[in-house]
Amino acid sequence: MKKLLIAMILTLVASNAFAHFQMLFTPESALNKGQKIELRLAFTHPFADEHTMDMGLQHDTKTLAAVEEFYVINKDKKKDLLSTLKPITWTGKHNAASGFETAYKAKRMGDHLFVLKPAPYYEAGEDIYIQQITKMMVNVAGTPTDWDKELGLKAEIVPLNKPYTIWTGSTFTGIVKQNGKPVPFAEIEVEYINHAPDLKTNAMGPAFVEAPHDSFVTIGIKADANGQFTFGIPKAGWWGFCALGAGSDTEYKGKELSQDAVIWIQAKDMK
Amino acid sequence: MKKITLLTVSLLMLLISTASAHTALMSCFDEGDGTITCEGGFSDGSSASGVEFYIEHKGNVILKTKMNEYSEVNFKKPEGDYQAVFNAGEGHRVYIDGKDIVE
Repeated sequence: MKKLLIAMILTLVASNAFAHFQMLFTPESALNKGQKIELRLAFTHPFADEHTMDMGLQHDTKTLAAVEEFYVINKDKKKDLLSTLKPITWTGKHNAASGFETAYKAKRMGDHLFVLKPAPYYEAGEDIYIQQITKMMVNVAGTPTDWDKELGLKAEIVPLNKPYTIWTGSTFTGIVKQNGKPVPFAEIEVEYINHAPDLKTNAMGPAFVEAPHDSFVTIGIKADANGQFTFGIPKAGWWGFCALGAGSDTEYKGKELSQDAVIWIQAKDMK
Repeated sequence: MKKITLLTVSLLMLLISTASAHTALMSCFDEGDGTITCEGGFSDGSSASGVEFYIEHKGNVILKTKMNEYSEVNFKKPEGDYQAVFNAGEGHRVYIDGKDIVE
């Protein structure tokens, strides 16, 4: 009985060690022509799908704080999308939690660069807050317009190759920045969305692959002295990169804040 | 003289490689107010401002204009079948059928 309890605690600890990722999901990032797209916002662990978290959970009030910023940039024009967010319940393998949905008309040609700044989330397991400033982009009809913009965010990953133009087996390169300045040797976690998100039921589907070892669930890498990193993409689908604590804000409500930068990319098979 | 020839050849090669490296692109949508907007561009992100654009309707060119400073053109939706053509030169033309242009 004692052994079982220890095993359960160890499992819980191991699960908590998997990376939190702010998902900003849409099924297709490379659109041949303008169309309305669906977006889902959920705070989860995209590879293991062990635990889904309530976006914006506060430690003192136990309520959910509102998303701070959500907008899109196309051809240098910024459009606020905050008022379009509708609360949903996102269901993972083990639990369900609060997230958001919206739809967006990606009508115009070029890149539609989405930026999400959720409220800090209280992670009770670590007694800290986590805020993941997240970028994701969709392109219409192939012309590049905004994908490489440096927005000067408190925490940001600036891509050096287009996040929607990545063949399986090629690479993704980005620079981790804090208020526009590179973050040397930034710690980065990489995860694959290993469960097909179902936008009709707002739930994660079954897993695509199994990790041979826990270190493959969340792959830890580091940026170089200039904050730059490159990662080879072994499988088609969505990959998330999260630079931990890259942001300039370090405290929230008297507790430690990990202000992270997240970017999503989508790889395609050559066939 | 030799230097000038070499320079000319180098410049020509540069021009050729620049011209062939990018792809002409166009996307059109129905504004829902009886007009169509077409946006032009290139795969290298360069502007399509000033590039020729025309509408073919029953074998006739019924509108010939140039992409504006924002690399786009807005025109009254023609009746029936038509084609929107982005003409950035030989090998750089894009055709879109009117029936594929939706809101």
